[in-house]
Amino acid sequence: MEIHRYEKIWLAGALLLIVGFIATVSYGAVGAGIAMVDDEGGQVDPASLDDHPKFGEPGTYQAGENEYDVYVVARQFLFEPGTSEPIRVPAHSTVTFHVTSPDVIHGFEVVGTNANTMAIPGQVATITVEFGEPTEYGLLCHEYCGSAHHAMEGKIEVVPQSEWNESMVVN
Amino acid sequence: MATFVDKFPDEAKVVQASFAVAFIALGIGALFGLIQALHRTNVLRVIDSVDYYTLLTAHGVLLALVFTIFFLVGLFTWAVTRSFGRALPDIRLTWAWFGLMTTGTVLATVAIVAGLFPQIPMSADVLYTFYAPLQAHPIFYIGLAMFIIGTWMAGADWFLAYREWRGENPDSRIPLQAFMVLTTMIMWYVSTLGVAVSVVFFLIPWSLGLIETVNPLLTRTLFWYFGHPVVYFWLMPAYLLWYTVLPKLAGGRLFSDPLARVVFVLFVLLSTPVGIHHQYVDPGIAEGFKFIAMTNTMFLLLPSLLTAFTVVASVEHGARQRGGEGYLSWLGALPWRDPAFAGMALAGLMFAAGGFSGMINAGMNINYLVHNTLWVPGHFHMTVGTAVALTMMAGTYWLLPQLTGKAVYSRPIGLLQVIMWFIGMVFMSNAMHRAGLFGVPRRTAEPQYQNFDFVAAVGSVGEIRMQIAFGSLLLFLSVVLFLFNVAATWADDRVDTPVDDTIPEPLSPSSGAPLVLDNLALWTGIAVLLVVLAYTLPLASIVNDAGLLGGSPTFPVTVSLEWVVDVTVGALGNLSLDSLAGVAPADAVADLVREVRR
Amino acid sequence: MSAEPDTEAGDVATPSGDAASENGPPIPDPESVDDEGYVIGSGRSGIVRRIGHDDFDPVGTLVLIAIYMVIVGAMWIFMYFVEFLGGDLTVIG
Repeated sequence: MEIHRYEKIWLAGALLLIVGFIATVSYGAVGAGIAMVDDEGGQVDPASLDDHPKFGEPGTYQAGENEYDVYVVARQFLFEPGTSEPIRVPAHSTVTFHVTSPDVIHGFEVVGTNANTMAIPGQVATITVEFGEPTEYGLLCHEYCGSAHHAMEGKIEVVPQSEWNESMVVN
Repeated sequence: MATFVDKFPDEAKVVQASFAVAFIALGIGALFGLIQALHRTNVLRVIDSVDYYTLLTAHGVLLALVFTIFFLVGLFTWAVTRSFGRALPDIRLTWAWFGLMTTGTVLATVAIVAGLFPQIPMSADVLYTFYAPLQAHPIFYIGLAMFIIGTWMAGADWFLAYREWRGENPDSRIPLQAFMVLTTMIMWYVSTLGVAVSVVFFLIPWSLGLIETVNPLLTRTLFWYFGHPVVYFWLMPAYLLWYTVLPKLAGGRLFSDPLARVVFVLFVLLSTPVGIHHQYVDPGIAEGFKFIAMTNTMFLLLPSLLTAFTVVASVEHGARQRGGEGYLSWLGALPWRDPAFAGMALAGLMFAAGGFSGMINAGMNINYLVHNTLWVPGHFHMTVGTAVALTMMAGTYWLLPQLTGKAVYSRPIGLLQVIMWFIGMVFMSNAMHRAGLFGVPRRTAEPQYQNFDFVAAVGSVGEIRMQIAFGSLLLFLSVVLFLFNVAATWADDRVDTPVDDTIPEPLSPSSGAPLVLDNLALWTGIAVLLVVLAYTLPLASIVNDAGLLGGSPTFPVTVSLEWVVDVTVGALGNLSLDSLAGVAPADAVADLVREVRR
Repeated sequence: MSAEPDTEAGDVATPSGDAASENGPPIPDPESVDDEGYVIGSGRSGIVRRIGHDDFDPVGTLVLIAIYMVIVGAMWIFMYFVEFLGGDLTVIG
């Protein structure tokens, strides 16, 4: 098959772009240590979340020194915690969010950041991030979940270490 | 001079009917798009925020499925008939699939639009992705199923035409346009299997109450098994026009027939085993499967990058024949005053930009930055919303005269219309991309939240909103002009030379293409094998983890708003029992409830 | 460089790949289609020369596509390393 010389040059250029893209993403995974949401969170029964040891009482749990687990139930049309009370985590800590839904598919986006996952009934999404200085983040549902989807929002408070106390953790 | 309608009057009627349905859907969908854009930018509010989702569902279904696919079946019927140079085997079969698709469309549309009328106990506010366990009225799913089955019958019609033609031409190469139609339909058969299983085996029985639960991750994964190839199903009619019509409009000839065939074969092979790239941040799917989907997706860039070269080179050939010189000044020698040429060329230019944001979407971990933000609709308004839609509108200016024997009513209006579309989309989609980067979500009725404000790194949130509103207005006006021009053409009288409908031979003809490229059975087999490799393990693990039917209760979208508010208040009440220091005060909860009611 | 006996006739009307090309429609004389009578699709009415397969090198295309590749490469690096990796709360587990 005849292929013009210039098109061969472009074919090589196109393959270079493609390999370059895959290499960049691989660098992000291996070099920068970015992990994808995957199946490590396991499954839960969406109809009986109340009986779950953690999702039955969602909130911030201390998991180790400076390490915390935050269990979040995303439901029509609020985050528990997050909406009626903010999610609280201490500054300069490593936090793993565990997010699931008892009803329909929701989204979990920490506004303006890379912390972004889906909340799917029956599945637990886990994402680990490192918080820095004390600040506040917005939280929103980015997947259409019903007629009041636009009201599903909340807040994350990164609390200074000096103000952090035991009443802010569940365990 | 005899054109398509004179040679194939029966087929021309079917194509005209298909285009008519497509254009009605385009008009309604564009109107809903304008209402949404003005609503969520707070410029003008004529609907409740609750009804926003009804209009959004209708906008997605009518434009992304009905407009594009009805135009496709019309275009493919034209392409198969003209490139085989013979009538379709049985025009009754042709009208049968048209009737089935139209009936399905009407049913699904009725189910969606009924959501605007509270007195009708029917709703399908599930958006065009219809993720369970949000549940639409059964009529919505049944309409969708009829529509898909109609497209399968259309494909069968074209394959039967191929068989007849092959019987009389045992040694000829498949004509290029027919080759494009047949390969696209192979891709469609392979990929619609996913959505058919999801709708027929799970969603229809579930919406009728025959089964109680579904596995939300399974139906979602089956949707995306279909949901990515469907974007190529939209794109292939545009590619068919870019490869076989655009060079001629430019005054040139297709640069390479063999490479065009290679590109379509690559789409058959790679379009389907990539759908998991829509689920990069889904739980329940291992990272390895996501990485495999990404590498497949990245290599799927190749046929589009090759297309960019071949199509631009063909257009350049036209410019050179028209006297164009230099490295770039040849661009000025092109027939920019022809709306069919200008529209397709601008659509191709927009596709280059939309292609870039698609490359970002394909990147696995960078998806955290853009997933479900306004970036994503920004992207697909450039691709399906311009590369495809604008090419279809521009192509109409060249096709409609062949189908009716009537000259286009106004060439200047046509030119104005395609340029307005391009400019409107530059405003709207660049603003949507930028908004997505600072976290503005897609698919929401409200521009503002109570707990936080969006912060734009460059420019301002207000400026971005104005660009979206202004762009959407231009887009809507462009559709109005287009529909007027089409209707006026239809109402016009027949003329002798309505259009120059000839298509020249490619510079590098089909005789140079390896024979194996025409071996459709071989490519089908490899495509199926790749799908099996890419999907067996992820689907097995999803079913293994949560069961075939899952355990999710059902959430019909037909529930009344009062019920939703009651449940919300109840949930908030429970929360406040175990509240901690500094909890949001009760009036904030009341505000939220008011927000919900708004 | 496969068989292409008559490139000069290449832009003459034949439905692409159609074996029955002798039944194709008559070709309007390019000279007869002026601005007044312009019909859509008659871009070749402006043709001033015929360029055959062997005389055409798409150098303009190569230039355009090279510009595109540079833009895409630079934008990719900006998006990945500045917008994404430079952003807050990157997921590490």
